[in-house]
Amino acid sequence: MLTRAGEVEQYLYIISSGLVRKFFLRKKDEVVTQLAREGDLVCSSVSFLSQQPSEYFVETLEPCILLAISFDNLQKMYNLGEHTERLGRLITIDWLLQKEQWEHDRLRQQPRERFIRFMRENGDLVQRIPQKYLASYLNMKPETFSRYKHLLKSSAYS
Amino acid sequence: MPEQDLYRQYLDNVYQYFCGFIDLSRVEFDQIVPYFVIRKFPKKTKVLAAGETDRYFNIIMKGVARKYLVAHNKEITLQLSTEGHLIHSDISFNLQQPSDCTIETIEPVVLLSMSYDNMQHVYQMLPKTERMGRLIITEMFIKKDRRDFQQLNTTTRERFLQYMEKHPHMLQRVPQKYLASYLNIKQETFSRLKHLLRPKKQRVSAKG
Repeated sequence: MLTRAGEVEQYLYIISSGLVRKFFLRKKDEVVTQLAREGDLVCSSVSFLSQQPSEYFVETLEPCILLAISFDNLQKMYNLGEHTERLGRLITIDWLLQKEQWEHDRLRQQPRERFIRFMRENGDLVQRIPQKYLASYLNMKPETFSRYKHLLKSSAYS
Repeated sequence: MPEQDLYRQYLDNVYQYFCGFIDLSRVEFDQIVPYFVIRKFPKKTKVLAAGETDRYFNIIMKGVARKYLVAHNKEITLQLSTEGHLIHSDISFNLQQPSDCTIETIEPVVLLSMSYDNMQHVYQMLPKTERMGRLIITEMFIKKDRRDFQQLNTTTRERFLQYMEKHPHMLQRVPQKYLASYLNIKQETFSRLKHLLRPKKQRVSAKG
């Protein structure tokens, strides 16, 4: 576990190898909001940016090598000059736009479309991530996920 | 108030807002001012239609506007914004590509707007605004994440009460169907929940 709910996120991670998930607890259910892989940035972002206690947990799913930068070091980096400021600005825009896109997709896509799109873009993760986490991330029941998977398999071989 | 004074007041407000992020002298701010334009829209007018590319970053000086997305033939209100708030189609503006969202006024609106191109000029001209840009976007990100989290992790009742406590005037300014959509509450449920609000003052209905 990299970060627990209630803690203040100290690090922003870039994944060099391995997989990380971000989730929160709704009653006793874990709701997965991010599945991050090689090359992705991951952390409890709002906690990191605001230095307030986290609502989320951040946990490794595989052994990971992470490149981490602390909040304090990041501020020092920004003080180096406008180039790093610009980098920070553009990365933050990227986060914001991903979040926006995720919201639009969630509202507009049917579960089936969501599943197909995810499989097309990240199909290899099915071997690496427990199905219940994938289903939670895609906001569907594990049974539904499993049913779609079978449909996909049968159509691929037909 | 004469229009000229009104604009001066709007700009003063924006100056104060910017100073919350970085040390900015009045002289530096005056260098930025010519890159802004004032845009006025009547009520119930589209500021940006889906399919258009959003050229402008907007700060609301006056009025109320909403941003919505059409999904499964329904308008889903994503944002309700009033004086001092920022409203634009984030993806469309930043990537300069056609927008999925529509921005529409609810009341007559006055916007202080900066075009995408002008914004790039300002970053070049006054590099210290890079930090301001980063911090404004960070704030937007935090707000957005908090809202997403709330939508996923609160009951209808909690969402309703939290919103009404924080934004008590919106009920008078925004049609109920938009508020309900924004809070992801069915309209009938929304009407029912209104009874939870203690009337702030006695009001006499004009039509009895």
